[in-house]
Amino acid sequence: MGDLVQHLINGLAAGTIYALVALGYTMVYGVLKLINFAHGDVMMVGTFGAYAVARALGRPAQTSLLGVAAIFLLAMGGCALLGLLIERFAYRPLREKPRLTALITAIGISFTLSYGFQLDFGPLPGAAPRAFPEIIPPREWFVFGDRTVVIWNWQVISLGIALLLMVALQALVYRSRFGRAMRAVSFDHRTAALMGIPVDRVIALTFMLGSALAAGAGILFAIKDTVVQPLMGLYVGLKAFVAAVIGGIGNVPGAVVGGLLLGLVEEFVVGYSSSSWRDAVAFSFLILVLLVRPSGLFGTVTAEKV
Amino acid sequence: MASLPAPVRGVFPVLLAVGVLGGLQVVVGQLPFFVYLSSLVGVNVILAVSLNIVNGMTGQFSIGHAGFMAVGAYVGGKLALEMKDLAIAGIPHGVSDQLQLLASLALGGVAAGVAGFLVGLPSLRLRGDYLAIVTLGFGEMIRVIVSNLEVFGRALGLSGIPQTSSFMMIWLCVFVVVLVARRIQDSAHGRSLLAIREDEVAAEAMGVDTTAYKVRAFVISSFFAGVAGALFAHFVPIINPGSFTFVKSIEVVTMVVAGGLGSISGSIVAAVVLTLLPEVLRSLFLQVGGLEGGAALAQKVDQIRMPVYGILLVILMLSRPQGVFGNRELWDAFPRWWGRGWRAEE
Amino acid sequence: MSTPLLQAQGVAIHFGGLKALSGFDLDIHPADLKGLIGPNGAGKTTAFNVLTGVYLPTAGTVRVAGEVVNGLKPHQINRLGLARTFQNIRLFKTLTALDNVRVACLSDTYAFFSRARIEAARRRSSKRSGAAAAMVALNNYVDWWRALLLTPGFQREERALTVKADALLDVMGLLHRRDEEARNLPYGEQRRLEIARALATGPRVLLLDEPAAGMNTREKADLMVLIRELRTRFSLGILVIEHDMKLVMGICEEITVLDYGETIARGNPERVRADPKVIEAYLGDSYLAAQGMRVPGGAG
Repeated sequence: MGDLVQHLINGLAAGTIYALVALGYTMVYGVLKLINFAHGDVMMVGTFGAYAVARALGRPAQTSLLGVAAIFLLAMGGCALLGLLIERFAYRPLREKPRLTALITAIGISFTLSYGFQLDFGPLPGAAPRAFPEIIPPREWFVFGDRTVVIWNWQVISLGIALLLMVALQALVYRSRFGRAMRAVSFDHRTAALMGIPVDRVIALTFMLGSALAAGAGILFAIKDTVVQPLMGLYVGLKAFVAAVIGGIGNVPGAVVGGLLLGLVEEFVVGYSSSSWRDAVAFSFLILVLLVRPSGLFGTVTAEKV
Repeated sequence: MASLPAPVRGVFPVLLAVGVLGGLQVVVGQLPFFVYLSSLVGVNVILAVSLNIVNGMTGQFSIGHAGFMAVGAYVGGKLALEMKDLAIAGIPHGVSDQLQLLASLALGGVAAGVAGFLVGLPSLRLRGDYLAIVTLGFGEMIRVIVSNLEVFGRALGLSGIPQTSSFMMIWLCVFVVVLVARRIQDSAHGRSLLAIREDEVAAEAMGVDTTAYKVRAFVISSFFAGVAGALFAHFVPIINPGSFTFVKSIEVVTMVVAGGLGSISGSIVAAVVLTLLPEVLRSLFLQVGGLEGGAALAQKVDQIRMPVYGILLVILMLSRPQGVFGNRELWDAFPRWWGRGWRAEE
Repeated sequence: MSTPLLQAQGVAIHFGGLKALSGFDLDIHPADLKGLIGPNGAGKTTAFNVLTGVYLPTAGTVRVAGEVVNGLKPHQINRLGLARTFQNIRLFKTLTALDNVRVACLSDTYAFFSRARIEAARRRSSKRSGAAAAMVALNNYVDWWRALLLTPGFQREERALTVKADALLDVMGLLHRRDEEARNLPYGEQRRLEIARALATGPRVLLLDEPAAGMNTREKADLMVLIRELRTRFSLGILVIEHDMKLVMGICEEITVLDYGETIARGNPERVRADPKVIEAYLGDSYLAAQGMRVPGGAG
């Protein structure tokens, strides 16, 4: 029983992180109909940014409330900028081209970022994993039984931050003018343009938002795993994409549900068999969803007009 | 070609190839580095041309090719390991080696073809982005499964596979895959595949069983990927899951896209260039830079390869998405009798 | 009356809450030339899509040559003798005109089992029968090997296909465009190429979806002559969707009028032209009121 609860907690912790990244995927797909393969790697860049800021601050500043806030804000801001640049120079020129062209470009950017960061010269970090500074010094906050269930402070904080960001996003997408514009663009960007919505700007802002969220998720990830390395984006990105697809790509609440589901199932599978099957969970989910119900749990099925 | 009598046209090129390659083998067999290099190139050409059948001719974007290569490598390699101590009485060692190699290639290819069928049948209902992602998923699944199976050596992989691959065998396989691709392209079946690429709904309305054709293209493509994998297993000392990752799939995709989706000659040229370039640079650095500096630079080449592929893809898509050759063929520019193959309309 | 080549009975299709087509009946017999008209969005192309198997009808049956084809895939229905063109031209753009037609040409020689034997096996049991499917699969398998090995039989077949395709291009006046990529053809020729391609599948019934769209008066006149000629030359039954009233009234013997998915009128051109329901559908009831007419059973 204790084990079960522990797995539940771990699964939720991981799941909320997946959900955050999945939100970025789903938002971008909504407005651009593009699977932004590079999303996970943008997350990686943001995490390294946070790493740099944390190192620059040094102890004890990096663990202070102000310090942590600064780390998050700077990393998220930096990523927003990166997302803006990528959208502007790589995706916008391809907006009217077949979706496949954009997908290939996204794959190209993903590889450039993830393997580029593996290189050893100049400011590039190189392949070796680095220890992420303990900006939230780990402390056990709740212990049940004799250590059958341990809940760490960072898990609670991480969950809190993730939930905060998700709630904020929900409010933005469904209660604000910008959110309405976003949803309009995701339905039909040409008509939205005719209605006076600045489509380019909306798309750019959506990108920035998604990238910022990804950076936040990346930091939470780094806190959880205690290391950062250039290839972390590839797999997390792929799994977050699976989460987005499970929920129905383009569907915001769906991304959250998908992320949580994936995190939980992954945790339980690894917990009760072996960690070498971890990746298989995501891929099995992916294959299953795409083959059985490609529109996901909450997505809508669209028919092609002949 | 057109001047040959009809019954002979089919097999003549293969016989010619065997002869030429056999001759070359005698000459070249004494240069191990050249053989190794040309083997790498050959394997990549087979991968690129076979992927082109699905991505280029049929317009179905698959990015999990490395998975089928892995199936071929592991199945073929395992067979070779089991057969290692078998000797066929009365036949010289060299020949029996090649026969065992052929058996491995055949089994590896068939296994990969079966995998292609199992993956293709459910997946090819999906379109565009979704198909790409699901093939990626399958490719990775295959890799994860293989790295968890004891019989395939888990993460350590298989070693000790007899290194019986030869220049002739590799380039014979290259020749066969190119011949197959061309013959498909110039036949009613190829036209049906192209029609599916151009407009699947219209093709279906004109009597083409699009699902069956797509799956068939997928199976043929994965068969050859398996052959490439089995060949690969026979000239590298160890195979492990790390050789067949998503990165490898994207390498092959880059070759096909850079050469031009739908252009067989484009895939060949791109595969040759993209395989040779890093190797040439690496040797250059080692030669010129001396032992210390040279080795460091050579290592850099390896690292730079992947980001360069990434940038290449981005630049290609932004400036020339149709690749170098588009969907035309290099040999269409040659005079009719040389390398054009047989076509009914000429 | 002989068995209709194409028959729809009570066909309906709903997309969620939208009734795109309801209670649709249609008969096409050999040598028929019928029209299907109606305002935009009335369901004409949807009807084509249901007849050709692109959509599965929610209700009703479609029969081709007497056999129920509900649930069959479009390529199977095509092989039973039903061919179509598309409202927005759907040619194989980067393929040559010749290749566009060749794709659609059915082989007359089969690798192992002749077409007759396969047909016989199919009629003996249900259309999803194992025997017929197995024969077709085996044929296909052998056929691919023949192509790969470039057997003399295969070469003969390719040449025969090419001859047949050339002949069709000639009939449609496109032989001079034989080696031109389809996307480079002028608009009118593209429409004719689509018809040539549909004819190559050897149909008994031809469905033409707005074949005259975008043509000038001269081309439309030529098209009218062409359609009549095709009917005789290929012994077809033809159903035309068109917006150009002159063309429809000019060649069609019977016209069915759709509005919001329902059949509101059917008859020869004179009858349909004068029908108040048809006039109202196209021009609105204010026009009717101005003319002093009333829609029977409706407001006005």
